[in-house]
Amino acid sequence: MARSVDPKGPNSESDPKFGDISARLDDLSTRLAAEKKQTDQQESAPKQYQGAADYSKGYRLFSEFVAGILVGGLVGFGLDKLIGTLPLFLIMFLLIGFGAGILNMSRAANRTPPTPEELAKMPKLRAGEDEDK
Amino acid sequence: MVNDPIHQFRIHNILGPWNIFGLEIGFTNSNLFMAIIVAVIVGFLLLAARKGTLVPGRLQSVGEMWYGLIHNMVDNVLGEEGMVFFPLVFSLFSFVLVANLLGMFPYFFTVTSQVIVTAALAMFVVGLVIVVGIARHGLGWFKLFTPHGIHWGMLVIITPIEFISFLSRPISLGLRLFGNMLAGHIVLKVFAGFVVSLVALGLGGIIGSLAPLLMAVALTALEFLVAFLQAFVFAILTCVYLNDALHPSH
Repeated sequence: MARSVDPKGPNSESDPKFGDISARLDDLSTRLAAEKKQTDQQESAPKQYQGAADYSKGYRLFSEFVAGILVGGLVGFGLDKLIGTLPLFLIMFLLIGFGAGILNMSRAANRTPPTPEELAKMPKLRAGEDEDK
Repeated sequence: MVNDPIHQFRIHNILGPWNIFGLEIGFTNSNLFMAIIVAVIVGFLLLAARKGTLVPGRLQSVGEMWYGLIHNMVDNVLGEEGMVFFPLVFSLFSFVLVANLLGMFPYFFTVTSQVIVTAALAMFVVGLVIVVGIARHGLGWFKLFTPHGIHWGMLVIITPIEFISFLSRPISLGLRLFGNMLAGHIVLKVFAGFVVSLVALGLGGIIGSLAPLLMAVALTALEFLVAFLQAFVFAILTCVYLNDALHPSH
């Protein structure tokens, strides 16, 4: 959608379709209206989905933490089964897994990857760059 | 029973099972939907790219947004040299997204609600990180587990923690997708089941069933959002983890 409203679009000049000035004006006004509609929608969307976004963020941190403890416990239990020292490594690796869970969580919280909305707002891929790869 | 919330996740053979190398292997409903997912992705993208006009039509716009979103993501997280992973990330995202969305149709099977499927996808990603990391950096890749500039005494504690943290990645990546899809579908089914049981009670029940009905409608909208968000999160975490294969030092 955003590509078609790009003013520097490769077809804005020397395209026989846009030769007539009134046709070009009509085209411009429809594109502007489409863009306005789109920005209006984007402004109203985040409020509506705020709860869901928070929910998914919270669930993400939680799963990072649980995964750390789970893996720590499993590794400890496996080592114990191999060597035959049952509670020793299980306890040690549960504690290490707890630390790993905290580390996972802090990493996930600090390194916030761009949201879909941010990615959509970023400048679009440069045309013609990928063809020669 | 009509509203058994777990019934929708049951796997059954459609064809077979055949005896292949001593293993009972059949063509299940899960396999059928995986095939449908691939057909939908390929069919849609071919249809979207069929005309290939400079000013995109509606269908082509969706295809370009789909492509552009993942292209921007890989470019952002992995940079220019990470573009070799673009086809992989695009395929993973498309598969998960279409699997989640197809699961929203009534009577359709949700492939991503099977933990074995999401675990296999996650294991593949983390396995790829290890293989690419060692192929690119040799044994130097293991510096990933020893953060730079820390006293050697601390390394004794930090290294196992980093190691467990690395091992927990496929678990959290796979479990999150599986958990979200499973929980969402069960909750939807339970609320829809409330409506059916309440209506059977008579007039009072019909009035009382309005609340769970509204809830089910709201949950359906939420599930569509979760379907997209989880596919997006899966793709972006794939990029973040692949970044460790390219640049192991923190």
